[in-house]
Amino acid sequence: MRTKVVFALAGVGLFVAAAMPVVAHHAFGGEFDANRPVLLKGTVGKVELVNPHAWIHINATEVTVGGEKKDLKGAAEEWAVEGGTPNTLLRRGITRDSLAGNPEVVVDGYQTRDHTLLRANGRNITFKDGRKLFMGSSGTGAPKDGADPTEPPK
Amino acid sequence: MKRQRIGALLVVATLCVAIAAALGLRLGSTVVDGQSSAPISRNSQVPRAADGHPDLQAVWNFSSLTPLERPAEFSGRPTISLAEAAQYEKSVMDRNNADRRDGGANADLARAYNDGWYDRGTHVAIVNGAARTSLIVDPADGRIPALTADAQRRAGERAQQRRDHASDGPEDRSLAERCLGFNAGPPMLPGPYNNYMQLFQFKDHVIIFNEMIHDARVVPLDGRSHLPATVRRYLGDSIGRWEGNTLVVDTTNFTDKTNFRGASDRMHLVERFTRVDADTLLYEFTVDDPTSFTKGWSAAVPMKRTDEQLFEYACHEGNEAMVGILGGARYEDRQKP
Repeated sequence: MRTKVVFALAGVGLFVAAAMPVVAHHAFGGEFDANRPVLLKGTVGKVELVNPHAWIHINATEVTVGGEKKDLKGAAEEWAVEGGTPNTLLRRGITRDSLAGNPEVVVDGYQTRDHTLLRANGRNITFKDGRKLFMGSSGTGAPKDGADPTEPPK
Repeated sequence: MKRQRIGALLVVATLCVAIAAALGLRLGSTVVDGQSSAPISRNSQVPRAADGHPDLQAVWNFSSLTPLERPAEFSGRPTISLAEAAQYEKSVMDRNNADRRDGGANADLARAYNDGWYDRGTHVAIVNGAARTSLIVDPADGRIPALTADAQRRAGERAQQRRDHASDGPEDRSLAERCLGFNAGPPMLPGPYNNYMQLFQFKDHVIIFNEMIHDARVVPLDGRSHLPATVRRYLGDSIGRWEGNTLVVDTTNFTDKTNFRGASDRMHLVERFTRVDADTLLYEFTVDDPTSFTKGWSAAVPMKRTDEQLFEYACHEGNEAMVGILGGARYEDRQKP
C-alpha cells in the first residue's frame, strides 16, 4: 500500500515533505522488491557515474538474498548496484577515482523485481571498517545552498 | 574531476551557443534595448544590464525545506520565527534522512540509497525576511485550492489507468521516470536534488536552463503572441516581458500529460523573477486554471545565487530504471499461475 502511495506521488510529480521520504527520479518500488533484501560483500569493480542514476559494480564473494546465503561455490558474482544522481557527488568533490583501488565494501539493499537479475539498489554501502561509502547531507556537509549567512565563504 | 567539470561546462556552453545561434543572437553582447516603458528604479545592490534592467544572469539554487503546502502543524501561521525555523529545519532533515532504517521494508526501499546522493538543501524559504511555512502564499491557508469536479474526475481516471495498466509499456510510467519532466516544471519547485537553474539574458530572449532533465526554455521578449492553441507542449509556450524590475514569463499551450498538481492543458502560468539583492532571485508564480482549481493560487520560492555550475543530467541516455521497472513487471507476469 505504501508502495502504491509512492507510485501515485511519483506519477504526478509531487514532492512533499510527508512521512514518506521524498522520492527521486523514479518509484523505487517499481524497480526493486521490498521483500528481497540483499547483502553483498565484495570489492568495488566498475563504477558508472552516469545520470540519472549511478551504477557501482560489486564483485561479490558473499551474497545473501531474502535472508538465505547463496552457495557461490568459491566463485564471485558481479552485482550492479544503483545509486542516485552523480551530480550531487560531484558537488561534494567525489568522483569515480574516489573508489579507485577496488576497496572492499558491504552493500545492503534490495534486489530488482526481476529476481533473475543480479541487480540491487545500494540502500547502504559501507567500507569494511563501517564508514559509509558516501557521507550523508543531513545537517552539515551538504553542498552549500547559500541561504545561511553564517556559512563560511566558498 | 576537472575533466568532468570541463565537460559539463562545455555541454552547457555548447547548448547555449547553439540556441543563441539559432536565435540569431550574439553571445557576449549586452542588452541594449529595454522592452518595457515602465520606469526602472535603481537599487545599488542589484546588478544591472546595460539597458538598465536588472541583470538576472547567474546560477541559482532553489532548494528549500519549506514544503509547497503548509503542514498542519503550522496551520494559521504563514511565517515563523527564525528560531522556530531552525528547529523545523532540523526536524525535516531528520525525517528526510535517508540513512535512517526505521519504518519497515517499503519505507526503507523508498529511501533507496544513503543520504550522500540527496541534495534537498538545509534551510526553509526566507521571503521578505520572514521564514515561510509554505511556498504557497495565496490562498492564505497555504494550501492548493480544492480541485473542481472535472479535475477530480480526470484525476480518478488517471489513477484507474495506473491501476489497470501500471507497467504494460513505458508510456504507462510517469513523466519523471520517462525523463520527460520533473520538478524543473514549469513551474520550478524544489526537489530531492539538481535544484539548479541558470538564467541567460539577451536583448530579445531569456533562457531558463534547468539542471534537472536539462530543460532549456527559450523565452522571447519581443512582444509576440502565444502559439496557436492547436500547438501543445510539455513545457508550454512561454513569452516574456519586463514589468519594472521584474521579468514576467507567461506560459500557456500545455499538454494534458503534465497535469501539474491536477491542472489541465488549459493551465495559465505566470512566473515573476525579481532580483531582490545581489544574491537572491525571488521566483513567484501563479497558477490559473478554472477547469481544475476552484480558485487561482500562487507561490514564492527564493533562489540563491551560487558559484556552482550546472552539470549534465542526460536522464534518458542512462535510464536503466525503465528497463528494470518493465522487466520486473514482465517477470512478475511470468510468475503468475
